Amino acid sequence: MEIVVAVKPVPDAETRLRPAPDGTRLDPAGVKWVLGGYDESAVEQALLLREAGAATAVRAVTVGPAPRGEEVLRSAIALGCDRATWVETPADAALDGIGIARLLGFAIAKVPHDLVLVGKHAGDDESGIVGPALAELLGIPSFPAVVDLRPEAAARGFRFQEALDGGTVRVEAAPPLLVALQQAWNDPRTAKLPNILKSRKATIDRVAWNEASAAVGPTPGGLARPTRFRLPPPRTGARMIPYKTPEEAATALVRALRDEAKVFP
Amino acid sequence: MPDFALTPEQIGLRDTARKFARTEMLPKAAACDRDGRFPEEIYRKAWELGLMNLNIPPEYGGTGLGLLDQCLIVEELAHACGGMTTTIMANCLALEPVLLGGSPEQRTRVLAPFCASYQLASFCLTEPSGGSDAGALKTRAIKEGDGYRLTGQKCFITNAPQASLYTVFATVDPAQGHRGITAFLVPRSAAGVSIGKEEEKMGQRASSTATVLFEDVHVPAADRIGAEGEGFNLAMRTLDQTRTPIGAMSTGIAQAALEYAAEYATKRQSFGKPIAEHQAIQIKLANMAQDVHAARLLVWHAAWAIDQGSRGTLESSIAKCFASDAAMRVADEAIQVFGGYGYMRDYPVEKLLRDAKLAQIYEGSNEIQRIVIARELLRSLA
Amino acid sequence: MTRPVWVVVERTGDRPVDAVGEAIGLGRSMGASVRALDVGPASATVDAALAAAGASGIVRIPPPPGTPLTGAVWAVGCLAALPPEPAIVLVPSTVRGRELAGRLAAGWDAAVATGVVEAGAPDDGTVHVSRPIFGGRATEELDLTGPRAVVAIRPHAFPANGTPTHPETTEVPWPSGTAVPAARLGPFEPAASAQGPDLADASIVVAGGRGVRSAENFRLIEELAAAFGAAVGASRAVTDAGWRPTAYQVGQTGKSVTPQLYVAVGISGAIQHLVGMMSSRVIVAINSDAAAPIFKVADYGVVGDLFALVPALTAEVRRARSGPGA
Repeated sequence: MEIVVAVKPVPDAETRLRPAPDGTRLDPAGVKWVLGGYDESAVEQALLLREAGAATAVRAVTVGPAPRGEEVLRSAIALGCDRATWVETPADAALDGIGIARLLGFAIAKVPHDLVLVGKHAGDDESGIVGPALAELLGIPSFPAVVDLRPEAAARGFRFQEALDGGTVRVEAAPPLLVALQQAWNDPRTAKLPNILKSRKATIDRVAWNEASAAVGPTPGGLARPTRFRLPPPRTGARMIPYKTPEEAATALVRALRDEAKVFP
Repeated sequence: MPDFALTPEQIGLRDTARKFARTEMLPKAAACDRDGRFPEEIYRKAWELGLMNLNIPPEYGGTGLGLLDQCLIVEELAHACGGMTTTIMANCLALEPVLLGGSPEQRTRVLAPFCASYQLASFCLTEPSGGSDAGALKTRAIKEGDGYRLTGQKCFITNAPQASLYTVFATVDPAQGHRGITAFLVPRSAAGVSIGKEEEKMGQRASSTATVLFEDVHVPAADRIGAEGEGFNLAMRTLDQTRTPIGAMSTGIAQAALEYAAEYATKRQSFGKPIAEHQAIQIKLANMAQDVHAARLLVWHAAWAIDQGSRGTLESSIAKCFASDAAMRVADEAIQVFGGYGYMRDYPVEKLLRDAKLAQIYEGSNEIQRIVIARELLRSLA
Repeated sequence: MTRPVWVVVERTGDRPVDAVGEAIGLGRSMGASVRALDVGPASATVDAALAAAGASGIVRIPPPPGTPLTGAVWAVGCLAALPPEPAIVLVPSTVRGRELAGRLAAGWDAAVATGVVEAGAPDDGTVHVSRPIFGGRATEELDLTGPRAVVAIRPHAFPANGTPTHPETTEVPWPSGTAVPAARLGPFEPAASAQGPDLADASIVVAGGRGVRSAENFRLIEELAAAFGAAVGASRAVTDAGWRPTAYQVGQTGKSVTPQLYVAVGISGAIQHLVGMMSSRVIVAINSDAAAPIFKVADYGVVGDLFALVPALTAEVRRARSGPGA
């Protein structure tokens, strides 16, 4: 069995969030691009499965511009991925999640992909649609928010749990399948220094933009186009909640959190 | 002109070191300082990631990095904890004489095991009666049969209680002064080797320091590094290599102090505004920033010069001396910015001052560094 | 001329989740006719709920008995009923709903956005949405262009203000020749309320301070946290007093947290605590002292006796979380 892990370069956790000069997206100036948290778990899970003998090889795949597309793949190789594929996109390509899923699908269809692993969602847009869209395009089942992914010898497949809202569902499924991983069964490993040096020299398979974009074609169905990147307004002091009884205060507060602040439940 | 931009490789190395430092070292730094605990679990993890033995070439299984790459890593580790960094780097110091002067047989026999499994080593030069005056060391190596009998005492030795191997400098002939000094490899298991009690230090308390006693220790000739009388030169060339990373360590400590002080200054309020808006604090922060930037660039330049093949004595002395003095100034000012809280053990800045102090003393005291700098300067004018 | 709106029904047990009613309300506010698309066995309960929410039609696609309802199967059912003509599909942005949105957008060929908290369909034919990104620290606005759009709406972000209707139910047969997935799904196992999440990556933190007055009283904080499904934190006063271990401490010498919601109970708001939690997206402070510094950084404040307020809040939170379709 061969595993493909689809990864995405995202801004690192310490990035100062600022709108770009045109106001439509994050200002890319000075951003450090890294392998995001859930992607790290996905890579870790793939490597654990290979080390447990459930897979023979792990390939990391990404769609993205230079240099960050290449860098994120080298990070995956430094962690232990055997191979990598890069669909290099032009810096100004207007790609949304479905567009990326189509390009990933084009690249992944060409290689063995018994198990496709993705992180639950990307650390920046957190949309969580590329994985399922990719699965639909590849014609394979998908499972969201997976934890405790283990090989299941009997079905020559996998056992895992989906961490849904408010509870879990246990699943057994046979390949080919796509799993959106919430958590690997170990903490993600850190790349060792000698492997970091070796990863600089590793060969990365390339899928040419012209070939890929021609094959997936235009997107008549629609495009999600960013129009504005907003930061929350600065803090000006608490809105004090008036009340006569504690129950009234509780109701008013919960309503405010749910309807105004939208942080609850 | 050199290109100051880091390569993607260097960024990868630095980021691995930073991640290890922030996630493994930093959370335990305060407790190890308070309790004087040697966190072996952290040192084992550092070894697993390839952060120890940075100077050992890949043919023996090491990471084999150039000096600038080593300094990038050391600065990140020291940002989290100076004492832990000293422990991690101590193998490089102890094994450098083997790299510089060991025979091919010695190199394979000694270096490969350190890369194959977790082990610590110690560099033994300093004695109770002589630190800076290394040429006048008293540890004696008397020829005996096909080897030597070693007797003497080395003090303030990093990793002494945990090391499996000691690189020991002893004299075969006191009458020859520094020309009698010879380098030897002594395993912990050798009869006559004993370790004194662990020292209670002012700072760098996650590092373990003790006296090593050699009483009639037999050392076979195969464990002598280089020729008789070559030892002083080997020690000096070793220190030429390790001086710059000490500068990087000091830079890391200073950078941490600067960050803590600047962040605190933006949050702490007095007289109706954040103290960062008061000129007195701004001037302190500016001076601290100058010190940190200057230290880093001196370290980078010295490391680059040595990587280019230069001996780099002048550059590395300046880097070590300046950076360690700078770290003391910056840590001191950081405490001042924190005010009363800075004096409290609960806050991270007073530890930085205690950790920074050692760098002015060890690996060639800053007084000796100034003499070296003056000598190199005057020699170049002669 | 607004496009027709479809609302995909996600069920919990034998009824639609709350967000379905909210999606119907949103569709109607766009001035569209809203049909519900329900992949599942016939159910009078579901029909009644959809009618009460204001659906103008129900299209049901019953899967063959025993078919595991994976996301792939759900998508097959929806795609069988969805015509290719221009339309907008709304789904709840739950774990399963979000997955469906991705599969539908790919299979139906549409623009898509998930976790949407604001949505509108101006006359120019686009759907304009906004959604949180970067863990809620920023918001992005998107235009979904093109004839087809899939929008997954965040539960409780939109009001469920449907006026009841009498919708007709039509059945669409399951598409023949579709392969049964090689997957077995166990039953839904609701989460035990026991252990709270880890302080470091919890999305809600409830923290207590000196105001709780004793180790035993700190139990009130823990009960409120359990009601929220939150991690428990403490100020330094609490850990210094030994009421809880230092691992709970949030602040300069303890942990830094960046949750979506931070509830500070009986915490005055000294700078040393603030630096540990000021980046939280929303901060609620409960304190008996109206002049406490915490109220300067909080978004919502309640001044009063925490011993009365916290139990009331705990009860209200429990009620809100266990309500229909939560």
